[in-house]
Amino acid sequence: MLSDHFTFTKRHLGLLLLIGGVLGFLGILAIDLLDVGREGGIGPAQQIALGLMAAFALIGLTLIPLGNHAA
Amino acid sequence: MQATIAPAPLFQRANRLLLSAAILVLLGYFIVYGVYAVNLMLFPFDYDQGEGFELVDTIMLSRGEWPYQNTETYPFYSSNYPPLFHVMAAPFVWVFGPAYWYGRLLGFLGTLVAAGAIGLAVYREGQHRWIAVLSGLAFLASNTVYHIGPLFRQHMTMVMFETLAVVLLAGVNEIPDTRRRRRVLVLGLGLILAAGYTKQLAYTTAIAALLFLFIRQPRRAVVWGLGFGLVGVGIFLAIDRATSGQWWLQTITANINEFRPDQTVGLFRLWFGLHGFLLIPAALMVVYELYFARLSIYSLWFVMATANSILSGKWGAGDSYFATAIAAMCILSGIFASRTLNASWHFPQNYLSRWLVNPLRRFMPQFAAVGLVIIPLVYLGYGRAVLHMPTEGAVFSDIAGALSIQGNAYGGRFYDSAGRIAGGYADIGHLTTDEDIAAGWSIVERVRATDKPVLSEEAAFNLLAGKDVITNPTQLLNLANNGLYDGAALIRMIENQEFGLVIFRGQLYPVPVLIAVSTYYEQVDTVLMNGFNYMILEPRA
Repeated sequence: MLSDHFTFTKRHLGLLLLIGGVLGFLGILAIDLLDVGREGGIGPAQQIALGLMAAFALIGLTLIPLGNHAA
Repeated sequence: MQATIAPAPLFQRANRLLLSAAILVLLGYFIVYGVYAVNLMLFPFDYDQGEGFELVDTIMLSRGEWPYQNTETYPFYSSNYPPLFHVMAAPFVWVFGPAYWYGRLLGFLGTLVAAGAIGLAVYREGQHRWIAVLSGLAFLASNTVYHIGPLFRQHMTMVMFETLAVVLLAGVNEIPDTRRRRRVLVLGLGLILAAGYTKQLAYTTAIAALLFLFIRQPRRAVVWGLGFGLVGVGIFLAIDRATSGQWWLQTITANINEFRPDQTVGLFRLWFGLHGFLLIPAALMVVYELYFARLSIYSLWFVMATANSILSGKWGAGDSYFATAIAAMCILSGIFASRTLNASWHFPQNYLSRWLVNPLRRFMPQFAAVGLVIIPLVYLGYGRAVLHMPTEGAVFSDIAGALSIQGNAYGGRFYDSAGRIAGGYADIGHLTTDEDIAAGWSIVERVRATDKPVLSEEAAFNLLAGKDVITNPTQLLNLANNGLYDGAALIRMIENQEFGLVIFRGQLYPVPVLIAVSTYYEQVDTVLMNGFNYMILEPRA
């Protein structure tokens, strides 16, 4: 990866977005699961963040089939 | 491909006609912008709340003093902004003394430079001269850029540095000559540092640029990112050391403000309502690069800047937080428009082009012909969406009358299609009058008339009266909201009625300060200036 000729491909980018989106989605949900003292459930900012993470994962999934084209 | 389009000459003529009309409309906004800028440069008082404190920062830096001071001791002043813009304005203080015009001139020139860089980027990518001109003018025609551009504020200078950096770095990976590539990298990353030390908000441009370098060649991004980080952190630590920690306290810790989601949602809706005609092609350009080409620095910048605009819902923030995204939008939409007019779209074979593009390939000539008409109409639509102009005064009243435009702001003397309904949208853009200037001088005379210090929410009156500027109210409030302000010394001065006069405009001080003032001072007059009521308070008997 640190060679002079390495560049990210669409598949790399897709995998990063998919993994980041899924982990981010779970992490945002975990805020409520772990923070038991909070009230009010998932707030508007969290809803926006969850939507963004889901979008990242979806975009990632659609990029993976594009294979080795440079990102 | 053009040869196969039967009505091409007709479409070409329509294209030229409509493009000329779009350029005329956006040139009209440019003239309005110039008139507004000159009007503000001639206005010797605060136009937008807080401008005067940026002038105070400039004066302090011109004397070799840091504006990051302890707010618990007289004159209780500090700044929450990085210093570069004020350092740039400091030589004007040496020559002309304290004045607003040069800060406003710098802001205005910064927007012109940014518009020029946008036009250059669009021309370089799309090779269409008129779309390049339209893209630069579209940036200046944005309601947001218009009303904050010619202010004594650092925001648009930050956007200028950001735009220059991004335009410079856009092709850096393709420079074959190593020495030249390194020079461009040094200059580009240096401009991002300049943007960051003009205003903190530029951090997203730094992320976008490093992400762009990382996607193209991770090794280069890591090496240069480390160097960039070391220089940036080194400057930061040096200033923090020189100010005994006040730099960190005032510019970072105190800047963590309450977030209002409804303000963000309102400003995003407004942003789309005003700029939707160009936002859609800009977003389509991002999608195109994501699936059919390489991601450009412009797309990454647009996405990052748009995401960063979420912070517009912070207390003290507003529509200015969209200015960077607007610059990126103008570049991307310009490239989209150029490619459409030049019929130079290229869709490589992949599963998406097989599903979505191949079935439509036989209609491409017709799409290209329709595009000749649609693209200028998009810019004309944008011109209508961002409508803003004075509705009074020479020429403007005639134009407003001819177009049946009635003012909807500043007592009906200015029209702004933004409607002034979203929280956080700056209530400015109108022209100042001779009455406003006379009202300002009447307040200055009151300040001169007392031999005691004056507590004013705006710095101009004290500066022009030759008195100390005491406090920066919004910074005291920032500190108080974060539990970092005591205020005992200032409140003691108020209780002892040591101020000969108190001048309020927005009552932006922390609550204990406001309570002390209302207890020991009484309102004796109200002066209307620039659409705002300035409350004049004197010590109670």
